[in-house]
Amino acid sequence: MAKRLNSRFFPYIPSVLVLASAVLTGVFSEPWQAVVLLVIAGIAYINAKGTVKTIDKAEEACRTLNEQLCRAEKLSTVDELSAGIAHEINNPLGIIAQETQWIKHVFKSKSLQKLKEIEDCADSLNQICMQVDRCKEIVHKLLSLARELEPVIQCLDLNELVSQMTNIVKKEMEERNIKILMNLETNLPLVYSDPPLLRQVVLNLLINAAHAIERDGEICVSTMAVSPQSVKVIVMDTGCGIPKEHVDKVFTPFFSTKKQGKGTGLGLAICRGIIERLGGNISVVSEFGKSTAFTIHLPINRIPQGDILHGS
Amino acid sequence: MAPKPKILIVDDEERFRNTMRKLLSIEDYEASVAGSGSEALDELHKNNYDLVILDVRMPEVSGVQVLSEIKKLDPTIEVIIMTGYASVDTAKEIMKLGAYDYLLKPYAISELLEKIDAAYERKLGRRQLTEP
Repeated sequence: MAKRLNSRFFPYIPSVLVLASAVLTGVFSEPWQAVVLLVIAGIAYINAKGTVKTIDKAEEACRTLNEQLCRAEKLSTVDELSAGIAHEINNPLGIIAQETQWIKHVFKSKSLQKLKEIEDCADSLNQICMQVDRCKEIVHKLLSLARELEPVIQCLDLNELVSQMTNIVKKEMEERNIKILMNLETNLPLVYSDPPLLRQVVLNLLINAAHAIERDGEICVSTMAVSPQSVKVIVMDTGCGIPKEHVDKVFTPFFSTKKQGKGTGLGLAICRGIIERLGGNISVVSEFGKSTAFTIHLPINRIPQGDILHGS
Repeated sequence: MAPKPKILIVDDEERFRNTMRKLLSIEDYEASVAGSGSEALDELHKNNYDLVILDVRMPEVSGVQVLSEIKKLDPTIEVIIMTGYASVDTAKEIMKLGAYDYLLKPYAISELLEKIDAAYERKLGRRQLTEP
């Protein structure tokens, strides 16, 4: 607060000093002197205001950098943690999976087949297998968050990639009366990026959009060139929207508003990780109860040496 | 019946290696177990094996060390690396050291059997090439 007041009043200080010293020394005896002094005071004000703006900009840049640093630190902790957890969980999961395979084999024996309760047991066993698969999936997602994804950069047509991904989900969307509208910019420049990673992100956003709508709604997918250096993809849905207090958290690992067991809270965190590794950024705008739009900005990355490059 | 490889399972988790042996025996594979890297190397010196299924992370002698020892002892023994370890990249790195394939825990039995058969086929193919 004090800082804000300082920056508000600081531009006036030099002007007030000039005028005050003029009054005190009695230089105002001639009208032209007063005019000159006022001009000097004006120039002093403009200069001081410019200085304050520069300081504000520097402070803003510093704040943004600090935020990025905090996020990077958080993610690296998550990376280390998840790698460790993944290992510790996969080993016992391996044992559980093997034991269920063995019991399934034992159940096939003729003497056990005669037992009335065997069906119940088999059903429980299938449930154990399903839950192991579920844990496996969570660990797998953790790993892709933890793994240092090394993009393989290739030349790609973003419109084509987006169309392919919408085709994958189209049938399911039709069954739920969700319309997909495509608003793809013709002559969109080719982009040098990692196609499988981008597919993963676009598909994730489409699935999230469908979850937000559940039934009856629209998803609009747009692409456009933003500048000679960058393009953007927007996935907008007319779903339930995100409450204001949650908007900032949607990219945070393990944050999920989905029902228990329905979401791991890692999808969007992975999406952001991927997009940032590809040199872009992803943001969200949402109106609770109405709509949500995710926007991906991607650099075009024109590479003169050829189509394929390894590493980021 | 098609010939089956003689397998050595190396894992520091007793329950894991024993159940894997039982599962393989249902499919008529003959397998022995070792609970550590040094135990595995002793066993390999004493008896002949076609295939080793080897856990990467073990105390004392690690899977990577065992792998290089196996390859020194007999380069025709095929090794399938097993890992619950975080990174697939790590498993790939280990494959560069001469392992045939890798298996991520938890695995499906069908996946394991496929890998065993493929590795053994390769070993048999190599033997045919070297034998006159």
